[in-house]
Amino acid sequence: MTGATPGRDGHEVEALVTDRYREALLAAHARGADRGPTPHDPDDALRRTADRLARDLPRFHPSFLFEEALAVRLGSVASRMRLPAAAGAEGLIVPLPMGDPLTELGEADTEDIPGGSGRRPLIIGGALTSAALSLAGAAYVAWRLNRPAAGPMVRAARAVARTRPV
Amino acid sequence: MARPAFRKVDRPEEGGPRLVHLDRDRRLVEEAQADPARFEALYRKYLAQVYSYAFYELHDHHEAEDATERTFLAALTNLGRFEERARPADGEGASTFRVWLFQIARNAVAQRRRTLRRRPEAPLEAAGSVVGSVDIERDAARKDEVAAAWSAVGRLPDDRRRALILRFVDEMSTAEIAGVLDRSEGAVRVLIHRALRSVARDLDDPSR
Repeated sequence: MTGATPGRDGHEVEALVTDRYREALLAAHARGADRGPTPHDPDDALRRTADRLARDLPRFHPSFLFEEALAVRLGSVASRMRLPAAAGAEGLIVPLPMGDPLTELGEADTEDIPGGSGRRPLIIGGALTSAALSLAGAAYVAWRLNRPAAGPMVRAARAVARTRPV
Repeated sequence: MARPAFRKVDRPEEGGPRLVHLDRDRRLVEEAQADPARFEALYRKYLAQVYSYAFYELHDHHEAEDATERTFLAALTNLGRFEERARPADGEGASTFRVWLFQIARNAVAQRRRTLRRRPEAPLEAAGSVVGSVDIERDAARKDEVAAAWSAVGRLPDDRRRALILRFVDEMSTAEIAGVLDRSEGAVRVLIHRALRSVARDLDDPSR
């Protein structure tokens, strides 16, 4: 920890104290006093105190080690925030097609859905994380395999898939 | 999303008035919101201020570090929720991000204080680090002066002490302090005024 003299604006301190002096003056007039605050009134002491605090209350800086260690930790947290659905993609929600899959979700449309393309493998993390997700995944795969074929290439691909041992 | 906040500033040397952003941290905040890795710029900028605030409140190096760490981690993970609320009355140099950050720091410090067994005492040994000359006799006198000032500030009621630290150490405007302490600007002026009065009396008291 090291002490550092901050670049304080002396005018700001003076403005603050002067502001108080002005308010004291107005208050004195308001209560009908026959004179305002004199240089020996508390404002002078306040001015000296403000100067002293500006001098004696420095801004501190933590150790370099602490600063860098926290910077690394923040960077690590920032990385996780930036890539929430990256490696592993735990908790990824896979939207299932609703309604008529032929009219509302054609082959091309599935490209926009994470993990929803018919031509790419559906990966949900390293493992299915819940029974609900397992059922959803199973239902989606069943629907993909049993829906009417969209074209000759798709029919051919499915025919190959059916020949594989399960 | 942050709402636009502009202020017309007279710059005769630049060909007349122009519009400037009110929150001086707006660019840094927006960059960090878009890419959390850019939060580092805000971290470096405000580290010493947050740490100082925590140190003056907790009077312990390790406690201050802990509160500082909690503050910046909370700020980073909640940055998406931050909304700029600068007002024209806040002035050109106002930073609503700094106010938001210090509100987090205030909570972090309050949590640490609750866990401490007793009220922290003024860290008088740290006063030595403020004195930098090689004149030992003069250093001793200066150290006494600094220690007396710190003790006087440390004896203030919590709200007055906080207002004074935010004003003199963190150099915040009255509007910013009002935002951090959740008080009106008038109340903050009174707090600082009374705090200065108390410290002045304390320092003039020969029995101290």
